[in-house]
Amino acid sequence: MLAVLSAVLRNALRGVMLTLCAASAIAQAVAPVPAASVGGHTNARHAPRAQLASGVAFAADGSLWMAGLNAQGDLFVQNAPAKNLSAWSAPRIVVSQGEAISADGENRPKLAFGPNGWVVITYTQPLAKPYTGAIRMLRSSDGGQTFSPPFTVHSDRQEITHRFESVAFDAQGVLHTLWVDKRDMELAPKQGKKSSYRGAAIYRNASRDGGASFGPDIKLTDHSCECCRIALANGPDGNLRAMWRHVFEPNVRDHGFAVVGGASPAEVVRASFDDWHIDACPHHGPGLAPAPDGGYHAVWFGIRKKGNEDIAAVRYARLQTDGSPLPESVRALPDERAEHADVLASGNQVAVVWRSVNSLESTLFAWLSKDGGRNFQLRPLSKVHGDNDHPRLAQSGERMVVVWRNAKEVQVHELKF
Amino acid sequence: MNSSFSVGPFAFARRMALAFALFSPGVFMPNGALALAQHAHAAITTVADFDAATWTQLLRNGPRPAAYVFTNSFCATCPETFDVLSKAVMASGKPVPLAAILMDVQGERALAHAHHYAGVTKIYAFDGFEPAIRQVVDPKWHNITPYVVLVARSGKLQRVTGQPTASQLKAWLG
Repeated sequence: MLAVLSAVLRNALRGVMLTLCAASAIAQAVAPVPAASVGGHTNARHAPRAQLASGVAFAADGSLWMAGLNAQGDLFVQNAPAKNLSAWSAPRIVVSQGEAISADGENRPKLAFGPNGWVVITYTQPLAKPYTGAIRMLRSSDGGQTFSPPFTVHSDRQEITHRFESVAFDAQGVLHTLWVDKRDMELAPKQGKKSSYRGAAIYRNASRDGGASFGPDIKLTDHSCECCRIALANGPDGNLRAMWRHVFEPNVRDHGFAVVGGASPAEVVRASFDDWHIDACPHHGPGLAPAPDGGYHAVWFGIRKKGNEDIAAVRYARLQTDGSPLPESVRALPDERAEHADVLASGNQVAVVWRSVNSLESTLFAWLSKDGGRNFQLRPLSKVHGDNDHPRLAQSGERMVVVWRNAKEVQVHELKF
Repeated sequence: MNSSFSVGPFAFARRMALAFALFSPGVFMPNGALALAQHAHAAITTVADFDAATWTQLLRNGPRPAAYVFTNSFCATCPETFDVLSKAVMASGKPVPLAAILMDVQGERALAHAHHYAGVTKIYAFDGFEPAIRQVVDPKWHNITPYVVLVARSGKLQRVTGQPTASQLKAWLG
């Protein structure tokens, strides 16, 4: 009886899902080569785990680009024209020769397009020593027709943590790269085996020639969390803003917000107040998008205490121009299983997307607002079985898409409000 | 002393199992014996698969007491948890298995972390879709690591995100 009911419910849900998917104008893309992990594995009976984490971005001409790893662990790019986002070009290998590349969860290849035909691809190269890495970049000055060999972005070459990079061009065309860095932690005195330094730091550098040369490594902030992505968004003054998981004293893993390009270290504004005390790695960074009034839309994961109960949720809030949250705007996403949400905005249209996993089935959800984040409508966009990446958002003017890669295909969903 | 290896009707069988484990790197190597030699992890040369069925099997048939630490290759806060657990095991004087389960890397990249995990007796690596395996372990777990499951001799479980407290360790090992 239960099995019959379950089947009926499943079929009904599938019908609703298909209807909604059709309404959201899915463009299902040709799949690149299914990806798999690099490196050895112990058991020949099983295929290596797929490394599907990818980066997407629109070029100035409206074409959609993607960077990820193929089955051999090589870094590829492919693109689809603005008129037909399902018509992916053949994957083009841009890094091979066995260079290790992180492509799992929040540590993934990324793309950024700037002026003058500049395009960069970045990734973290894990080094032999655990917890270490280097931020690597490829650059193009011909709109992505050709790319340079990869090079290391930071001037610090110690075999220590340089990981979880983020990259973006600001309104003046200056390329900014930010990353989690442990050079200060390495220098701090130890208390027993433990460092006296809280968390890691975020460092950055800037390039005014599209990655041909870089300024010095500059500290953005001390005491970031060690293993979460850094969110970037353009501010109304043309400077980037960064939001990251911070470790406030003594061990509160809430979020910090700062202007990129100002003082070093930057003035950190607290952007979330979950008051989550924990000595652990959430592996769950925030998302950030500009709002037309000069503020921002933000999403993040955190755990709040309610009595003796821990309330875990991905939350949304409007941030003010300085990065502080508007308390009345804070709300949990309508899905307890929401993971790795991200946010984009254009005018009053706001899109929050996330993956919701129930065993081997994953559902891609969009939460869409037409009134600047006051009200949202929940829309399931797709469902897949088995391994898949987090959904990745990309924007070209008012056009917003979410790209969702799984082991068989790459789905592109155009967001309609 | 209420040692799990000195009382009960199956003491001889358990001693034999311990002896077997000591010479079989693919199975648990109780660290009460090996950690005393201060080289428990040095003997680990293999990584076992951890799929959606493994957890149920471990809870049903695995050793007790035991500790399972779920971690990621980039979890910088995880080694401290192994330190805490290892000290508790050493203080108890009991040979207690302490397993590390890597969720994001397999093979050599998983093994590379062995020397960061004090007292570890076995290393697993997720084999399959990570969230699906994680939800078998705990449907409410949001991939925060370290995620620790302490299995008491009675079979009672304590689930801890981050480092276990002194009272949790006491409840685990008595």
